[in-house]
Amino acid sequence: MKLEDYKGISAPGDLRAIEKMAERLRGKKMLHVNSTAAGGGVAELLQRIVPLIRDMGIDVRWEVMQAEKPFFEVTKNFHNALQGKGKPLTREMWDTYEGVNRENYARIDTDADCVVIHDPQPALFIEKKKRGIWLWRCHIDISTPEKATWYLLKNTIEKFDAGIFSVSSFAQSLPIPQFLMQPSIDPLSEKNIELSEDEVNRVYERFGIPMDKPILLQVSRFDPFKDPLGVIDSYRLVKKYHDCRLVLAGGTATDDPEGERVLKEVQEKANNDPDIHILLIPPFSDREINALQRGATIVLQKSTREGFGLVVAEALWKKKPVIGGDVGGIPLQIIEGVTGFLIHSVEGAAYRIRQLLENPEKAKKMGENAKEHIRRNFLITRNIENYLSMWTALEHKDQKVIYL
Amino acid sequence: MGNAMAESFKFFECYALIRMTGRKASDILEFMEILKQVSAESIFHHVHQYFLKPHISPPDFSNDFAVWAAENLGEQNLAEALANLNPFEFSNVEDIRAELIRIITEHLKSYPPPRPVLPGKEFFFNESITIVVPTGLEATQLHDFAMILKEIDYSSIYFHFYEARLRLGKERDDFSHFLDECLDCPTLAARIKSFDPYMYTTEDLRAKIIKLLEEAL
Repeated sequence: MKLEDYKGISAPGDLRAIEKMAERLRGKKMLHVNSTAAGGGVAELLQRIVPLIRDMGIDVRWEVMQAEKPFFEVTKNFHNALQGKGKPLTREMWDTYEGVNRENYARIDTDADCVVIHDPQPALFIEKKKRGIWLWRCHIDISTPEKATWYLLKNTIEKFDAGIFSVSSFAQSLPIPQFLMQPSIDPLSEKNIELSEDEVNRVYERFGIPMDKPILLQVSRFDPFKDPLGVIDSYRLVKKYHDCRLVLAGGTATDDPEGERVLKEVQEKANNDPDIHILLIPPFSDREINALQRGATIVLQKSTREGFGLVVAEALWKKKPVIGGDVGGIPLQIIEGVTGFLIHSVEGAAYRIRQLLENPEKAKKMGENAKEHIRRNFLITRNIENYLSMWTALEHKDQKVIYL
Repeated sequence: MGNAMAESFKFFECYALIRMTGRKASDILEFMEILKQVSAESIFHHVHQYFLKPHISPPDFSNDFAVWAAENLGEQNLAEALANLNPFEFSNVEDIRAELIRIITEHLKSYPPPRPVLPGKEFFFNESITIVVPTGLEATQLHDFAMILKEIDYSSIYFHFYEARLRLGKERDDFSHFLDECLDCPTLAARIKSFDPYMYTTEDLRAKIIKLLEEAL
């Protein structure tokens, strides 16, 4: 992929700014570190962003931690605790966390002018800092963290040069600069590229989902914060008025051992309803997810906690109105009544689904607004602009207006 | 923009990197206390970021304080008073801060403080760092100036119009300065300077300036 491929899609001003900033940074080294190569929004984003940054002449690498299940169980708990719903960390858990970080940072070359550490999993890499600008990119909602866990992590985060958060409400009281960076989608990726109607139909056929009724779709990991059980409740309330199908499509990432338990609960709750389709999507099924989104009538993202919920932007880009929880980054993507609806309950979701199923014209208009909203605010080029501007800003400390 | 004003008009675009202060207010009293303490950059950011964002559906008011008062505090009269503040009437951000505090104090004399907002709906104080990008586009004549203005990113309109006056402390926007001083079009310059830019989105303002330029051509 090249930056010029985005001409005609992204705003020309964004592309000019990227080129100018990249000119200054050409030849410098950048490193991204995260904990999983596939599954989940972070890996998807890095798969796209890294080649584009490289294309601009920046010597960028992406390294993935090597770890086993016990580490991911600890970091999943870490993740939940930071989102306010996990158990406090024990000494033993911290030792596992620290040990795996040490093994990994001994293995990975961290010499770079700009190092971006994604999420808490590799945060202890900061102990190895020798030079360069180190950024901690937090993709999760830490607006109301479990206090003891956050306190432990905070001591580490304070050693970075800056923190990056997806939504203003995630900012914490920290002695380092905190930047806002809304994630983005890539309109040219397999997950978002235009597909023919034929291809969409074939994917539905392959999954055994007849397209004979309106289709409600939620694409998300089987994670309690995505509330798949609540989605089934909403569907059942709607079903009294509209004959429709519900598709719950999700994968489980390698760092998400809790997924299997939630999936079982969802299957039990679905109780063999032939109009509920539970799909376990393997990694690298981006084109299939794209087709599922394009074939849906309404897309749901009934999260009760959310980092950003990039899947909302993906659906909006495909001209689908989205009904989503009023949490994390979802309200930035759903403009109430313009690109979809924000909901706070099972009943709220059901009410808005009924409203849109009853008014297809309204749903169509919302879909059109939705695509434009994403085009203007949430495309990948905006994200690259963010990274380069943070790097530039930290090289010009204390300047509020920086002339390139 | 200083150096743009020699012979030709050099168009700059800009990008706002948002820096979060980590400070948030959940009720009006807390809001006022923080407002007294936050940086001038934070106040500038919240009365201007509306103009540096592309809107599919613009909010009712153009400054963040008014939007929060209306949507989250549910205080319409306070929102209206805050929205009516015109930053161009003030020569610096400290005077805007004083006026915001005066408006809230007056409001509190007549109305009881509203209840706190729900978690997640607090007012989050941010700042922006502006990265200014030369576009390489220059105009020496009115015709070229109008043509480039049509093509340029909306951030250029923002930079030369809003940021130039308040943040960079100029007496007027870069466009009317250039038209007056370099192209000898004082009437056109005066008409542009007389706009009430806080009543428009940046795209609307662009369209209005282009219309004036085309009429002059």
